[in-house]
Amino acid sequence: MAQSDSKLAGVERAGASGNGRSFWGRLLTSDLYQAVSAVLFKTQRRRFWLLASFPLFWVVFAHLGPILRMFWISFLDSYPPTAGTVPQLTLANWGKFFEDAIFVMPYFRTLGFAFVLTLSTLILTYPVAYFLAKHVRRNRQMLFLLILLIPFWVGEIVRTYAIMILLGNNGAVNLILKFLGLIDRPIPFMYTSFSLGIGIIYLTSLYMLLPLYSALEKIPNTYLEAAADLGAGSWTRFWRVTLPLSKEGIASGCTLVFLISTGYYATPVLLGGPSTTVFAETIAGFFHVAGDQWPVGAAFASIMLITTLTAAAIFLKIMGRSGKGMME
Amino acid sequence: MSKITTNRRRFIKGAAAGAAVLAAPAVWRSSARASDVVNVWTYANFIPDDFKAEFEKETGIEVRIRLVDDQGKQFNLLAAEAPNPTADVVTVAGHRFLQFIDSELLAPMDTGRLKNWGTINPVYSESDWATINGNKWGAPILSGAEIMAYNSEEVTPEEARSWDIMFDDKYAGRTAYIIQDMMSVMILAKGYDGNMIEYMDNPAQAAAIVEEVRDFLISHKDKVRKFYDSGAEIQQMFINQDVVLAHAWNGPISKLIMDGFPVRMTIPKEGSYGFVYTLNVANNGPNSDNAYKLLDALLASSQVGAEMTKASGFISTFKGADAHLSELEKKAASFTEEELEGLRFFRAEANKMKYELLDPAVEQIKAA
Amino acid sequence: MTRHTRILMSVIYWAFIVYLFVPLVLMVMMGFKDSKFIGFPIRGWTLEWYTGIFQDAEILGVFGYSMAIAIASTVLSLSIGTWVACFLGPHKFRGKLIVFALTCLPAVVPGIISAISLRIFARGLEIEPGMLAIILGHTVHNVPFVALVVMARLSTLPPSHIEAARDLGADAIVAFFRVTLPYLVPALVGAGVFCMLLSFDDFVRSFFLGSYEPTLPVLIFAMLRSGMSPEINAISAVVLVLTAILGLWAERSMRRLNKGS
Repeated sequence: MAQSDSKLAGVERAGASGNGRSFWGRLLTSDLYQAVSAVLFKTQRRRFWLLASFPLFWVVFAHLGPILRMFWISFLDSYPPTAGTVPQLTLANWGKFFEDAIFVMPYFRTLGFAFVLTLSTLILTYPVAYFLAKHVRRNRQMLFLLILLIPFWVGEIVRTYAIMILLGNNGAVNLILKFLGLIDRPIPFMYTSFSLGIGIIYLTSLYMLLPLYSALEKIPNTYLEAAADLGAGSWTRFWRVTLPLSKEGIASGCTLVFLISTGYYATPVLLGGPSTTVFAETIAGFFHVAGDQWPVGAAFASIMLITTLTAAAIFLKIMGRSGKGMME
Repeated sequence: MSKITTNRRRFIKGAAAGAAVLAAPAVWRSSARASDVVNVWTYANFIPDDFKAEFEKETGIEVRIRLVDDQGKQFNLLAAEAPNPTADVVTVAGHRFLQFIDSELLAPMDTGRLKNWGTINPVYSESDWATINGNKWGAPILSGAEIMAYNSEEVTPEEARSWDIMFDDKYAGRTAYIIQDMMSVMILAKGYDGNMIEYMDNPAQAAAIVEEVRDFLISHKDKVRKFYDSGAEIQQMFINQDVVLAHAWNGPISKLIMDGFPVRMTIPKEGSYGFVYTLNVANNGPNSDNAYKLLDALLASSQVGAEMTKASGFISTFKGADAHLSELEKKAASFTEEELEGLRFFRAEANKMKYELLDPAVEQIKAA
Repeated sequence: MTRHTRILMSVIYWAFIVYLFVPLVLMVMMGFKDSKFIGFPIRGWTLEWYTGIFQDAEILGVFGYSMAIAIASTVLSLSIGTWVACFLGPHKFRGKLIVFALTCLPAVVPGIISAISLRIFARGLEIEPGMLAIILGHTVHNVPFVALVVMARLSTLPPSHIEAARDLGADAIVAFFRVTLPYLVPALVGAGVFCMLLSFDDFVRSFFLGSYEPTLPVLIFAMLRSGMSPEINAISAVVLVLTAILGLWAERSMRRLNKGS
């Protein structure tokens, strides 16, 4: 708070006095700037479109463009086109998904998997983010956060192999347990839901941690103290104050993790067992195995895309509504 | 405030400058179309560094190598660049020729322009899979095989004589295989044609065979620890002792042997399939003339062949490459006569039908 | 907060740290193994893998190339993402949900698909594969993350701040640079670190959009073909240490910044 106030003071200097001391003051009072500004910001509507122009251009051109292209390919009967033939339009690629349970299964597995993963990441990282935001001295928070970020500078693949030599039959954990005399024969940790969970939460926790931290960090301590003064126990304070106020962070963290975890490919492939195919693997298969399967892969990717986006939109909508309820 | 801003700016500037200095050589390198360049897409270490340096010194042609790690990705990339690829030479596994040729990504190879063509063992260069549509399409450099690998401290050579041991209770939960490849091998082991060329006129029979193998693998799914994809994975599984018995390619396993790990490989009595990595001239590449110069220089020496074997673990197709290998390396990269008799090559003629049957079967095995 | 929960919290925090760091310790250790493969048992030790990196101009060049791409794409993503967030966050208009969904789109497209579609798209725009194409590809992928994080922070900016600034005569642009932007700094730092990570770690886009110069993950993938070697671990460990130093340096200058104001 104090920080923003000092910023306001800066504006005051710049705007009100405008005696040419600061860059912003000079800028604001210069004739040219005022002329330009008068034209640009004359009406509310004009301001809105000025602000909107570039974001709209960017999302349509750079975000939607490539995807539309993919969408288009999903309706072609062959791609990349063989020389001399003109690709025909077809719905068969989309139909393929619905005609066989073997594709629907990994699809639902992936959605369920992403859901469980999101929830467990939230439960695991919430205390960490809370500790960081509320119990670490403010000027040390950045350092503690950086310590948490360091492991993510190591590539996904190298990290995953490190997890393999940690959990393998002849891995570090089994060797230690054997050395301590706790086990005779190694425990097969690898290629199970356990090893998969260990590897994946490593990937997702960061996406949860940052939004959670930034939401928790700005809950004023005075709120909690006030609640305590009113006799609220620590659980009550958590349920009635902290949790509702960190809702924004939970919502964006969960959305991020959910969306991203549906697309995970390398880690499930490396750490999962024989029955844990995820949908991204199915999709990638269409691009890796044979060239003329691109359209099917594109169709499946579109299906995944539409589902996850719908799910995220519904989730955010619910969060928004219940949030209003909590605030009142 | 201003002091801190400069601090931050200086920090960002410093970091950017450092990166720029390090990156400069990469950015300023000559473009693909320059005439004194040859553009090669290949696996790491397939083209030995020493050879590359010498070739560049002698001819003045710069060899630009783009590293690929997967046939499928290479195909996708080349397809995305067609019809004006930035590649002159690409590395294709022989049984995937058809896919590249059908999409017009490769140029037929004019072996008359390679005076060292004779270096290649005719077993590979004149083999039936090497000629498609009446043309040769690539220069074979390394040969691989679908083999059975076993930890020699746990599994005896006698046990490892048949693919059946992979599905035996004794090693339940300690085996691994690549599903797609294993299906071809199992089709062969059950006495059918794993290339499916015999059944091109009889799709019903082909479907029945795939179904039989699929059901067999599903009913024995409890024996397998992991369906894997890459050579590095199977190496790590052996080292971590997560598996003791596996289907694998010979290259990654022979690298393990060369490193002294107690693993051996064999081609079981039912036989197996082999494949060959070839260097190919890309269709409409920017510098095809230089591509031929590079290939000819590469084929000039059996020493280069031996280097390729050491780097990849696969067997060199060059005559006399053996002479440059140590005893351990020779042992790691060879099979007995008896084993080789059971080895036949993958062929691509029936691939469309085969993979239309195999791909869903693979999904069903995973889902079972 | 009672003492018990406080202790419990710190135990969870440190347990989490241990979980994150154990694989890294193993990785650094394996870089010293005298063998071509990582894993136990370790029969001999060597410094060769680590010293080799600093004598290998190619690896250093690849590192710099990846870093340059990461910095450029981060700066671009931050600028574009902030603009998108400032547009989307405070304004209500018809079709907002659609624009929001479009903003998130690149984050949810599976990597391989986004890579191939970007590759085809770049060709349509006649952008040669190479550094520029990778930077653009990473920017497209990172903008949603920046936008989401910045929007979350923006939603907590008390409107009174902006109003006060406007009352004092600042117009929209000045108010943005003097009030909004400073308020966003923590979110921007977080998002920036995030973008660097995503860019530095990205394989599939770099592979498809790149040309003959590999980025670090592309090089590592290619090396992986002949096995997960101690050399790869050593490279990753060195990258880790260098980036950690970079991060700590950034933190110190941030801390000085906070003290100064």
